[in-house]
Amino acid sequence: MLNSVYELEKAALDIRKQLLSLCNKEVIHIGGDLSITDIMTVLWQYQMKYNPENTKDEKRDRFVLSKGHASAVTSFNQAAIGCFKAEDVIKEYATDQGRFSMHSCNLVNPFVEVSTGSLGHGLPIACGMAAALRLKGNTTSRVYTVMGDGEQSEGSIWEAVANAKRYQLGNLVAIVDYNGLEADGFLDEITGLGNIAEKYRTFGWNVKEFDGNDITVIKQNFDSLPPADSMIPTVFVCHTVKGKGVSFMENQMRWHAGKINDEQLEECIFHLDKAFERRWNKC
Amino acid sequence: MLNKGKETVSYLRNVMGAYMTELGKRDEKVVVVNADLSGTCRNTDFCKAYPERAFNTGIAEQNMISFAAGLAHEGFIPYTFSMAPFLTMRACEQCRTDVAYANLSVRLMGVYAGVSGGISGATHWALEDCGIMCAIPGMVVLEPSDAVQAKKMLDATLQYNGPIYIRSSVEPVKDIYDENCQFEVGSSTVLREGNDGTFLCSGVIVQYALEAAEIIRKQVGAEIRVVDMYSIKPIDENAIVSACMTGNIIVAQDHNIIGGLGSMVATVIAETGNGVKFRILGINDKFEAMAHANYLYRLNGIDTNGLVQSMLNMLRSN
Repeated sequence: MLNSVYELEKAALDIRKQLLSLCNKEVIHIGGDLSITDIMTVLWQYQMKYNPENTKDEKRDRFVLSKGHASAVTSFNQAAIGCFKAEDVIKEYATDQGRFSMHSCNLVNPFVEVSTGSLGHGLPIACGMAAALRLKGNTTSRVYTVMGDGEQSEGSIWEAVANAKRYQLGNLVAIVDYNGLEADGFLDEITGLGNIAEKYRTFGWNVKEFDGNDITVIKQNFDSLPPADSMIPTVFVCHTVKGKGVSFMENQMRWHAGKINDEQLEECIFHLDKAFERRWNKC
Repeated sequence: MLNKGKETVSYLRNVMGAYMTELGKRDEKVVVVNADLSGTCRNTDFCKAYPERAFNTGIAEQNMISFAAGLAHEGFIPYTFSMAPFLTMRACEQCRTDVAYANLSVRLMGVYAGVSGGISGATHWALEDCGIMCAIPGMVVLEPSDAVQAKKMLDATLQYNGPIYIRSSVEPVKDIYDENCQFEVGSSTVLREGNDGTFLCSGVIVQYALEAAEIIRKQVGAEIRVVDMYSIKPIDENAIVSACMTGNIIVAQDHNIIGGLGSMVATVIAETGNGVKFRILGINDKFEAMAHANYLYRLNGIDTNGLVQSMLNMLRSN
């Protein structure tokens, strides 16, 4: 487990570089992978109780990737904690019978709790898992689920939002990657969703709204989560930038999914390294 | 095995709903998930006996199934109850992607099978549920014809690993079996022997087929076999191949003529290369206005008289 902001930011840098290396080889959902890289890094490499040696440990935290297309950023974080090697992800991604692909699949990858891909499913399933933990008397494990912002248009999400409050699932932590862009364009132009945080608040959830690309803030919010045996579900509405860290991808609809060439890869990594060095005064 | 002498009927919804309490007693992994129809689906006894194991998602069938999938991921055996059309169509993708893809032992209990919802109208009929659920990889599809069999079926659901859809009629059904009746996923039961033709049926129609076979024997002396095909998927291929030897097969089910038991049987006949006179009876691929189930069975030729006429026509065409 990593502890310091420096270590976590360094880890997030590594994840971004791995994502871009993969993006140089295959088409991946790079925009949404990059927007939640910081959240996923803190979640997997700091926050979650998860032992790759014992994936069925009753005391583990559960993770459901509701925005299933962010499989690459999930896999690289799982690689970082020892589930497999990052090179395996790059080597096997989108190959026949490979463990890694456009969406996460439990049939080939035992570190995937729930196979996902179709939107609006993760939160409802996570509710059932959280209720099951309560029924089993498990008062310490949490269920984390990461959703997209466009995904909030699915009616099944709001069925589950009401349900989670009704069953007092304080062991449930939902995270919304609020990058403002969906496949067809800007969220505000496509849907009438309006203020997402306010909607969760109206349903009686514990709502935290913050910068989802600021590791210091992300860590603070995980640190101040109510205990797993509390009675109110929590949502993190994380304001993020789609394509975060790569200037030509940031806030660009066309980088929802895509592939980069060798030159772009070199340029991206150069700038990511530079930014990191500048931030930590290592130049 | 057969219930002889008694002329009693049962309501499968009452029997199966009440039997959930027994299953709950036997296995503490049994949980029930409703979507605001716990009364309609007769789960109130279970909810009172095991309140901590009874969930209600409100009128949200998609969430009911996904929530149940979450419970099953953690080792529980969730029984989800709703009217068959809502369960199989409103929550179709959840049944497929959240339950079947993960091979979870979720029990999908669809009441109001076929047109048994009667005067509630087509919104509450399940004309397509078998076709939909049979098309989902790994999904078992069952339909009980009587109360004793329904309980044996539920007993089996405690042991079976993987998803199961059970459709059941809300029309009364005759008590066909005695307590020694056998139930096995993928099997069937010959209720009446005969070598001149075969009725392959499931659910509420089985009782009509038994009556029809008796009438035919009295009218023309032909001996018609009646097979209860309670396991629609996997289907009992041996029973179908054997039925082909009788030369005349009529499949009847309270379901659209497309996609139900008839389609499953037809596939087996074609794949095994058997030549046999064959007809599928069911709801004739047409929406009707609301009406009582018995009227609709008569209209579509799947009541006793309809079965008699169809079989006599087939026998005469020899």
